[in-house]
Amino acid sequence: MNPAGSLKVRLPTGEVFALPIHPDERSLAGMLSAAGLSLNTRCGQRGLCRGCEVELIEGSLTVDGATVAAPAIVKACQARRDGHGTIRIPARSRVEHRPQVGETFAIGIPYAHQPLFTPVPGGRDTGFAVDIGTTTVVVLCVDLVTGAILSRAGGFNEQIRFGDNVITRIEAAAKPENLAAMQRAIVHETIRPLLLQAAERAGRALERFAGGAVAGNTTMLHLLVGEDPTSLGSAPFTPRFLSGRQVLAGELQLIVDGLSPEIPLQLLPGIAGYIGADIAAGVIATGMAYDEVPSLLVDIGTNGEILLQSNGQLSACATAAGPAFEGGGLRCGTRAVEGAVSELRLGLNPFGLELKTVGDVPAGRAGGICGSAYLDFLAMGRSSGLLSSKGRFEPAAWEQVPEPYRHQEDRERALRLPAGRPGGLTISEVDVALLLQAKAAIGAGIETLLETAGIRAADLGRVYLAGGFGMHLNLGHAIACGLLPGLRREQIRVVGNTALAGALLALVDRTTLEEMATLQARVEIIELNLVPGFEDCFIEHLSLP
Amino acid sequence: MNELHPLTQAIIAGKRKEVPDLVAQCLAAGESASAIVEHRLVPGMAIIGEKFKLNEIFVPEMLIAARAMKEALKVLEPLLAAAGVKPEHIVVIGTVEGDLHDIGKNLVAMMWKGANLGVIDLGVNVPPARFVEAIREHQPELVGLSTLLTTTMPAMRDTVKAIRDAGLSVKIVVGGAPITREFAREIGADSYAPDAGSAVDMAVALLQGKA
Ligand code: B1M
Repeated sequence: MNPAGSLKVRLPTGEVFALPIHPDERSLAGMLSAAGLSLNTRCGQRGLCRGCEVELIEGSLTVDGATVAAPAIVKACQARRDGHGTIRIPARSRVEHRPQVGETFAIGIPYAHQPLFTPVPGGRDTGFAVDIGTTTVVVLCVDLVTGAILSRAGGFNEQIRFGDNVITRIEAAAKPENLAAMQRAIVHETIRPLLLQAAERAGRALERFAGGAVAGNTTMLHLLVGEDPTSLGSAPFTPRFLSGRQVLAGELQLIVDGLSPEIPLQLLPGIAGYIGADIAAGVIATGMAYDEVPSLLVDIGTNGEILLQSNGQLSACATAAGPAFEGGGLRCGTRAVEGAVSELRLGLNPFGLELKTVGDVPAGRAGGICGSAYLDFLAMGRSSGLLSSKGRFEPAAWEQVPEPYRHQEDRERALRLPAGRPGGLTISEVDVALLLQAKAAIGAGIETLLETAGIRAADLGRVYLAGGFGMHLNLGHAIACGLLPGLRREQIRVVGNTALAGALLALVDRTTLEEMATLQARVEIIELNLVPGFEDCFIEHLSLP
Repeated sequence: MNELHPLTQAIIAGKRKEVPDLVAQCLAAGESASAIVEHRLVPGMAIIGEKFKLNEIFVPEMLIAARAMKEALKVLEPLLAAAGVKPEHIVVIGTVEGDLHDIGKNLVAMMWKGANLGVIDLGVNVPPARFVEAIREHQPELVGLSTLLTTTMPAMRDTVKAIRDAGLSVKIVVGGAPITREFAREIGADSYAPDAGSAVDMAVALLQGKA
C-alpha cells in the first residue's frame, strides 16, 4: 500500500483499474488524462463548467482543500487524491463524441487543372488535401488526373489532450517532450488513420499517392513540422515560419504501409501569427481577393479572424472570442455534438419555448447546449423583451416566465430548458455575460477593421462567413445580437470550411498556391490592441442592440 | 439612506455622456475636485463593487460604469494635480511582459481609483525591470500584476521574483483570467484577486493591514 493512497476508476464497461501515481499530476482530470482517459475539460480545467464531472462512489477526494466523501459528484479538474477512493466516469464526461467535422465548403473561383504533383497515370495519380483545425482535422482524397474528390475522412485533432485551444498547446510545447508528443499526435494518431480511412473509401492503394497539401493555423503548422511555437505565445507573436514549406512524409514520420516516405506535403503559406494559412486559403478559395466590391471574410472560432478587401487592398485582424461559442465555460455548454440543443425558439407573450437538437435526439436526452442555440437565445431573449440590453432578465418579463422554466441559484437567474438531465439544462445570466464577451470581441473586431479602412458595413458587397460555427448559426440572430453588426442577410454567404477548400485548390491548381504566397506582403495587419478605440468599441458591443 | 447625488447615479448607471456636465455642475457649486472624488465618485464605485459581489451586476455593467468614472476623472485629474492633492495611498499596476491585454487591468485600475487610491498605470507588456524601476520611483505600498494569457504566466512569476530580488517591500496582488490562488501562492505574490471587485477589497485590506 503506498502512502498516497489508491485511486480506482470504474469504466462504463464495469472494468476497474487503479490510477498510477504521477508525482507531478495536479488534478484528478490530469491524472486521468495521463492514463489515457481524457475528460471533457472544455473550460480549461478552471472548474467553470460541468464537462469533467465524475462520480465518487467510494472513499474520498480533496476538492478545494476540503475532503469530500462518497457518494458525491465532483469536477475532476478541481479534485485531488485524498487517501482511497473509487470513481466512475459517466459517458458524457469522456471526450469521445465524434465532432461534426466541417467537410462542406464552397469554392468561389474557377480554377485550372495544374496539379501540384504531376500525376503519373497508372502510377502515382492520387493526392490528399488536409485541413488541420485546432479541434478537428479533415482529409480529402483527390484524383490528380481529373481533380475530383474521391473521399473524405474527418475526426478530432488528437492534440486536444494537450489543451483545447492554441495557447494551451503553445504552453504545453514549452516542454520538448510535449512538442514531440504533439507532433506524433497530429501525424501518427490523427492524419495517419484519416489518410488510411480516406484511401480505403476511395479504393486507392497508398502506393498511388503523390503528395498532399496542408492548411492550418500558424500554430498547428508549427506543431505539424515540430517547430517550437513558443514565440507565438507572447507579444510580439512572431512565428518561426510562415512560408509554404514542403516536407517529406518520411521527415514527418508519416509512416503508412505502401506510402512512399519520399512524397511531399506542401504546407500552405500563412499571413501572420494569428492570421494563418487557413485564412490565406480562404481568401483565395472564396475569390474575395478578386471581388470588385468591398468584401469581408469572417471566420468565427475561439480565435476569430477577419479580413477585408476593398479596391484590391487587403487588411486583417485577429480577435479572441474565447471558447463560449463552443460551449466552453458555460454552465451547460457543449460543442455541437450529437444530442446538443442546437436551436431554440423563444416567445414571451404567450410564453413559448421550442428546442431542436443535433441529430434530432429527444430533448429529454439532450446532453448540453451548443453555440448556435445560445446565439438564438441572445437574439430572441432580447427581441422578446426577456433580456435587457445589458443581458439581464428584465424583472417584469421574468415574472411572465412560467415557474417551471425559472431557475434561481444564489441570486443568479437562469432560464430552464425542458431538456437533458434532471433539473433541466439552464442558461444563466452569468452564461449570458460570457457570451456577450465572445460576441463583443468578434463584433468589435469587425467594426474596428471596417472603420480603420473607412468602409461602412452597408457598403460591403459580400461577407463570406467561414468555419463550422458559421454553417450552423441562424444568420438573422447573429446579426440581431451584434455578432455580425450592421450587416444584412443578403450580404452574407456561408462558405464552410474554406481552409480545406484552399488546400484542395492548391493541390489541383498550383497557381493558387502562388497567389496565397503573395498575401503575406499584401495584407496589412491591424493589431486591435494597438487601435486606441478598440477598448471602447468592445465595451459598446458588450450590450445587446 | 440619502438619495444618491445625480453624478453618483450617472456613474452607477454608466451614463458617461451625462458625466462631464454633472461634474461641471458640482465644480460650479463650489465643490473641490477632491471632494467630488470622495463624495460623488467613491460612493458610486463602492456601490458598483457591492452589487458585483452580490451578483447584481456583471463585468459588462462594471466596465460601463468604470468608463463613466473615467469620463469624470478626465476632468478632475488635472485639477487634482494642479491643486497638489496627493493621494494617501499609491499603487502601481501593469500587464506583464508579453501580454497586451488591458481591459481587465484598466478596470481594476479604475476600481482602485474609485477607492481613492493613487494609481500609477504602467500599461501593457511591462518588463520586470520596468516594474522594479517604477516601484523605486513611486514608492507604492501595493503593486498589481495582470495577465490574460496562460503563456505569460511565467512572466508574472519573473516579475514577482524581480521585485523580491530587488528587496522591495511592496505588497503584490495578482489577477487575470488564467491566474489561480494556487498559482499566486506558488509564485510568492501576497494576494490573488479573481475579479475587479475583490481586487478593491484586497487592496484595501492589504493597505489597512499595513497601517
Ligand atoms: C492586479 O490585480 C488584478 C486583479 C484582478 C484582475 C487583474 C488584476 N486583471 C484582470 N483581473 C480580473 O478582473 C477583471 C474584472 O473582473 C477580469 O479581467 P478580464 O480581462 O478577464 O475581463 C475583462 C474585464 C473583459 N475581458 C477581456 O478583456 C478579455 C476578453 C477576450 C475576448 C479577449 C479580448 C477582448 C482581446 N484579445 Co484575447 N481575449 C481573450 C478574452 C476571451 C474571453 N471571452 O474572456 C483571451 C484572453 N485572449 C486570448 C488570446 C489567445 C489572444 N488575445 C488577443 C487579442 C485580443 C484583442 C486585441 C482582440 C482583445 C484585447 C483588447 C485589449 N486591449 O485588452 C491575442 C493577442 C493579445 C496580445 N496582443 O497580447 C491572442 C494571443 C490571440 C488572438 N486570437 O488574437 C485567449 C487566451 C487563451 C489562454 N489560454 O491564454 C482568450 C481567453 C480568448 C481565447 N482565444 O480563448 C479578471 O480577470
